[in-house]
Amino acid sequence: MKVLKLKKHNLNDYLDSLRVWGEVYGPVKQGEKYIYGQLDDLSKLDTKMLRTILPVKKFLMPPKFNTFTFDENKYKAELENIPNRIVFGVHPCEIHGLLILDKFFLERFPDPFYGERRRKTAILGLSCVPDDKCFAKSTNTHYVESGFDLAFNDLDNYYLVWVGSSLGDDLVRIRLDLFEEDIKEKDLKHYMEWRNWRDSQYKLNVNLTAMPDIMELNYSSPVWDELGDKCLSCGACSMVCPTCPCYNMSDQIRPSQFTGKRERTWDSCMFKQFALVAGGHNFREARSQRVRLWYTHKLKAFITEFGKAACIGCGRCIDTCPVDINVKTVVKALKGGK
Amino acid sequence: MNKPKVGFYNLSGCSGCLLTILNCENQLLDVFNGAEVVSFLMAQSNNVEKELDIAFIDGSVTTDEQEEFLHELRPRTKKVVCLGSCSCYGGVQAMENEKGTWLKRFNKVYGKKPFKVVKPFESKPVDAFIPVDYYLPGCPIDADQFLYNYARLLRGLPADVPKTPVCLECKWHENECLLLKDKLCLGPVTSAGCKAKCPSHNLPCIGCFGPADESNLTSEFSLLKEKGYTFPEIERKLRLFGGVKFIKQFKSLWKKAQK
Repeated sequence: MKVLKLKKHNLNDYLDSLRVWGEVYGPVKQGEKYIYGQLDDLSKLDTKMLRTILPVKKFLMPPKFNTFTFDENKYKAELENIPNRIVFGVHPCEIHGLLILDKFFLERFPDPFYGERRRKTAILGLSCVPDDKCFAKSTNTHYVESGFDLAFNDLDNYYLVWVGSSLGDDLVRIRLDLFEEDIKEKDLKHYMEWRNWRDSQYKLNVNLTAMPDIMELNYSSPVWDELGDKCLSCGACSMVCPTCPCYNMSDQIRPSQFTGKRERTWDSCMFKQFALVAGGHNFREARSQRVRLWYTHKLKAFITEFGKAACIGCGRCIDTCPVDINVKTVVKALKGGK
Repeated sequence: MNKPKVGFYNLSGCSGCLLTILNCENQLLDVFNGAEVVSFLMAQSNNVEKELDIAFIDGSVTTDEQEEFLHELRPRTKKVVCLGSCSCYGGVQAMENEKGTWLKRFNKVYGKKPFKVVKPFESKPVDAFIPVDYYLPGCPIDADQFLYNYARLLRGLPADVPKTPVCLECKWHENECLLLKDKLCLGPVTSAGCKAKCPSHNLPCIGCFGPADESNLTSEFSLLKEKGYTFPEIERKLRLFGGVKFIKQFKSLWKKAQK
């Protein structure tokens, strides 16, 4: 993997140059929170952002979009007008989140709508310093080795820039004049010192060791009923979770003729209707069962299937749930703590 | 193929739901071409009252005349669809329901007056009188949700009105959570479909789409209580649009909470 240097004062100039390839997005402040917004004006870019309300998945599987249009004889997939996008400021944990979504959508049953957007979205990672809700060190998602096109590591007055893909290389070549290629020993030292310092900044530790076993032992635990009583079933946790992939489909037909579109929207297993099937039967009638499913999926089933948790320690559930149900509190409760 | 015969009717309410349909200017031809609209007082002349495939009812029931109309309508229509929170839940005009007698409340506002034209009573949803097949809530209804379901119903498909909470659509818009900002927001207990209009303008949800599927009122109550809201404050908000459905739900909670 190639590593380059970019002086910080050149960042905006560089991002501005990338517009020849696509639309540029990055973290911008909205009220007291952050979102990934379009950077028409680069002064809006806020590199100190910790977590956006919605993760970067919103670009790859938007909350609501049309998959295809149809009439009585044919259908036409809507894959043509997807723009090239560059998303700058994606933190390491979120890139791990993308790798998890890739498992859902690119492997056994490739999803063209996700795949096409993933291909056309350049991921420009950015290192971060954790706050008291980040626990990416616990989930081992605080560094990235793949899943990005460029990764920027913030070191005082410059960035060390990892080139992670051939697209990343192309993007560097757009403004090669801004980058320095001679990485010196002191840069490596600087980087290693930064790493040690950053590792020491993780205040929250959520130990997920042996979680599948702990979940199994807790299958009939009253903890789930307590959580079910408390859960508002608002689904916000699923919306903001970078690894939640579920969606719903609905056919929007015109009243007077047989033409229409198939719309895809984010869904959540926290909703009662999620497991509703023909005949009015429901696999998960009780709210407690639904809360259990969400956590079983993240912290047990995914580990059994892929060898790691479907949690990247980004802290969005901690930041979002109005009644304090999140990976931190649930893991604690399952281990017998209050 | 014969087009399905439909009728649009208005009981007590502002008719805003029917107006929402007429405001769909780009789809209006679709709405009228897709069916044989036999009765739509707000939109056309020469209405006839006959056998129907679908009757859409806007407004709540507040007079004996309306009650009689519903009993006359039901046997001649295959499906009855409630449009808007008045016909679904009783509407804003049901916010004081079950608080003492209706007549006492009426007299307090209007004085003691004889009823000459019709005999009025406490605002009730349509399903208090006749069986209802589908409910499209909202104050007013959402145009897209109506058009989607209208097309389905014309083809004999069941309505599809997911009663997921407002929070779902609110998060799609990347709004800051108003509950976390200690606002009295009814988002988690209110049905979506509105595209989270109010929270997207930084205004807390006031519940105009009525209860969500399995609203966890108990948890919403204790959360709001923790934030310093009193039960009368919360009840007032819930009563505003939630009508009889919410009142039924929180009555028992109320008793428990006051203990």
